[in-house]
Amino acid sequence: MFEILEQAWAFNLDRETVFGLVEQSFVFVVGMTAILASLGVILCASPIYSALYLIGNMCCLALLFLFYNAEFLAAVQVVVYAGAVMILFLFIIALLGAKKEERDSSFEKLMGMGFVALLFCELLMALGVGFTRPMEGQATEDAIATVGSAKAIGMELFSHHLIPFELASFLLLVAAVGIISLAKFSYRPIRKRTRV
Amino acid sequence: MDTDFVLFVSAAIFSIGAVGFLIRKNPLVMFMSVELMLNSVNLLLVGYSKALASLDGQIFALIIMTVAAAEVVVGLAIILTIFRTRHDLNVDHINVLKG
Repeated sequence: MFEILEQAWAFNLDRETVFGLVEQSFVFVVGMTAILASLGVILCASPIYSALYLIGNMCCLALLFLFYNAEFLAAVQVVVYAGAVMILFLFIIALLGAKKEERDSSFEKLMGMGFVALLFCELLMALGVGFTRPMEGQATEDAIATVGSAKAIGMELFSHHLIPFELASFLLLVAAVGIISLAKFSYRPIRKRTRV
Repeated sequence: MDTDFVLFVSAAIFSIGAVGFLIRKNPLVMFMSVELMLNSVNLLLVGYSKALASLDGQIFALIIMTVAAAEVVVGLAIILTIFRTRHDLNVDHINVLKG
């Protein structure tokens, strides 16, 4: 790594170019790792390995968030997703038993893959189109980078997006109540309940 | 800048998640595939938030994370209840809502 940098300086590249190159190659490597990890999620037969690959994928995405000046979201991604949600997944897998899925190749699977390949090609067409309309936001890139993303997001969240924020907290409350009522009270078959 | 790369990675992860949702039979892995799709959309929102110099994308990503967390919690509870009544985790065998 350092030899490459020294060679680059020997060719009189300025510092900004070298750092830009290094940053872009890092972004490339992390993005490719994210794609490989997501492939691991769907190709592993055992759900435990799928969950571990998903944690890797989320950490890669958090790194990408850091590269895109979204420090707050990167922290939330690691804490909420890679921490809380995936621990929940692992607990449920441990509770239900991690049985391996038997493999079978059926025509329906092939059809599903073909359908999604078509979807992928359609999504890639967006690469050719790019921005449909040039637009500029209020926050400049410098402001996002210097103020600190948490402060900037807080200002934006509590000034322009207060109602969605409160609705989100209410959603979490409803989910908490729902999971307690689903998981706590044991299910009784309906035949026994309606017997008079 | 490199919005093309963000678009490519996001589209790839979204498609992989869609394939996983279609071909896997374990509901837990299907849920993980849904998480993959939600995460890819988050990545796209954050990348374009930088490219457009607007914080709206990050706010959207935050709300999506909230919804995803709530969805995972309720979904896992439903899977747990199904497993308690049927002792089977193959979605091909779960074809009636009645217990």
